[in-house]
Amino acid sequence: MVGSRGRDRVLMPLLTVLAVLWLVPVLWMLSMSLQPNELLARTTSNTFLGLIPIPFTFHNFIRLFTLGLTPRWFLNSMIVSIGMTVLVLALSSMAGFAFARIRFRGRNLVFALVLAGLVIPEQAVFIPLYTMFADWHWHNTYQALIAPRLAVPIGVFLMTQFFRGIPSYIEEAAQLDGANRWTLFTRIMLPLSVPALTTLAILTFLYAWNDYLWPLVSANHKEMFTITVGLASIQSNFAQSEGLGRVMASGVMASLPMILLFLVFQRYVVRGIAMGGGK
Amino acid sequence: MDTTGPTPDRAVRPGGARGRSGGLRDTLEGYAFAGPFLVAYGLFLIYPFFKGIWISLHDWNLLAVAFNPAAKHFVGLKNYVHMVWGQHLVWGVDHLVWARAIGLAAVVAALALASRGRLPWRTAVPLAVVGVLLFGVALGIHPASDGRWYDRRFWHIVWNTLLFVLLTVPSVTVIALGLAIALNRQSRHAAALRTAFFLSQVLSVTVVTLIWQLMFSPKQGILANLFRTLGLQPIEWITNPQLAMPAIVITTVWWSIGFALIIFLAGLQEIPAELYEAARIDGAGGWRIVRNITLPALSRTTTLVVVLQIILQFQVFGQSHLITRGGPDDSTQVLVRYIYQTAFQNSRLGYASALSVFLFIFMLGFSLLQARLQGSD
Repeated sequence: MVGSRGRDRVLMPLLTVLAVLWLVPVLWMLSMSLQPNELLARTTSNTFLGLIPIPFTFHNFIRLFTLGLTPRWFLNSMIVSIGMTVLVLALSSMAGFAFARIRFRGRNLVFALVLAGLVIPEQAVFIPLYTMFADWHWHNTYQALIAPRLAVPIGVFLMTQFFRGIPSYIEEAAQLDGANRWTLFTRIMLPLSVPALTTLAILTFLYAWNDYLWPLVSANHKEMFTITVGLASIQSNFAQSEGLGRVMASGVMASLPMILLFLVFQRYVVRGIAMGGGK
Repeated sequence: MDTTGPTPDRAVRPGGARGRSGGLRDTLEGYAFAGPFLVAYGLFLIYPFFKGIWISLHDWNLLAVAFNPAAKHFVGLKNYVHMVWGQHLVWGVDHLVWARAIGLAAVVAALALASRGRLPWRTAVPLAVVGVLLFGVALGIHPASDGRWYDRRFWHIVWNTLLFVLLTVPSVTVIALGLAIALNRQSRHAAALRTAFFLSQVLSVTVVTLIWQLMFSPKQGILANLFRTLGLQPIEWITNPQLAMPAIVITTVWWSIGFALIIFLAGLQEIPAELYEAARIDGAGGWRIVRNITLPALSRTTTLVVVLQIILQFQVFGQSHLITRGGPDDSTQVLVRYIYQTAFQNSRLGYASALSVFLFIFMLGFSLLQARLQGSD
């Protein structure tokens, strides 16, 4: 909107070139995942700096599903990410509803204490969490990977903000109809908050899928790795044992769900970051 | 953030939500709804936070305590002393004189801004006090010629982490700001470009490091291949102590402009169109509009982006852990990786917890700043 058409004729093509360059690392990964391992062992720049997959093969992806632990890691990531997302949505929306719409004793104090938790970073609690979960024999389980994120208050903060914005006459109308609080919450408040819940769901899923430090600490059996940790474990020796093409195929597998999710729900991702500062 | 409670609700109370406040039924239902979260919050965040402080007061070996819970020893503040202090420390005016001069100049600048009303005193005064203590006093402390720090690596690693933040945050901010201003228009073309620049942000740190390790490789990297085609010598990024840090900074900037871009675009949407109209009627051109209207209107957004980025980048771990393994010669060793290694490779949980508390205190200041910035909207 700013600027004249003449400037646009220079600016937009320039930005387009820059955007393509920006995507080169991703395109290169994709291209290598579609080239034979034997070729990549010799050269990574076969056709046009290796950005065009010629010669072309699907072999890396086929091997990925028949050999090695990548499918298992993918499944682990799905279980952890979906489980975490569902639980974060449930806990955050219920607590957000309570803080925004129920006048209970001690509410302001409790809410202030919850907000105070926003300043505690994951790195300040991961050592004590490690010892706690070791005492409980929780390591190398799904709940160990999910539980710590349930305590992060950002979801409660977002949902409280959202519920505060819902006009009170909607609530009053429901009360006149004799709805109790649970009905009010499930039948009226939750359907109204689908956009906010979608935003929170995508940000939580993104966090869960890409989290590295905590799964690295907690899951030390190879079978319990998430795809993010698993990919890290095979990248140090990729050239020798696994084959570069296959490692790149694992990288593509690890990225695909996030890229698809982002492209489909871009609007919600954008709103979530603009609201929550991307935490 | 509004910590005083929900005002819109209060305004509608008379006819509204369930009449009286704090009735027994409301209280029971309130805690029933908030309960599941509060349990998780107490168990997985608050309790571990205090337990971490408790662990930091012990000589606590991970393996020894795992076999015998009594194998930990209370040592008071010894871990903290070991972390920050040393033998035969002296104070000198001339130690790190340039960095301290720049820091004190920033303090003066902040006070000057405050006296002109551009910065609230309640922000400027605490900043100035911290600044004077830090640059005027603390940075003058150093070991004498026959002295040494107890932990020879700690301050070096803190400096690496700060250097990483100092290099990453301005780059991310400037690039994202420029792209946001250029791409703030309603066309399919601009939307596609926004998507392209954001895309790398949704990748995990292990995918990012997988790609960039290879990008920087002197044998297989794209740059190296390009250089070789041109008959030039490929650059050894990762094994060169001078270039290893720039390498992980480049990787990080590529990875993390997306969030900043979106926050800037949201900020641009809030600038009223009339401002641009007025400027255009006055005959202002593109660059003058950007400088006189867009940038001043975005000053709060810019501060928010900078603070968020500092918090985020201070926690850097994966890039250093996976691309350079902290090396060469500790040149890319950062605080979180040091904590991780101290705890899980050297089994020194007590000392690692003290390092965590240091990280927390450092980030607390920026978190509070973020809360204030977002709360006053």
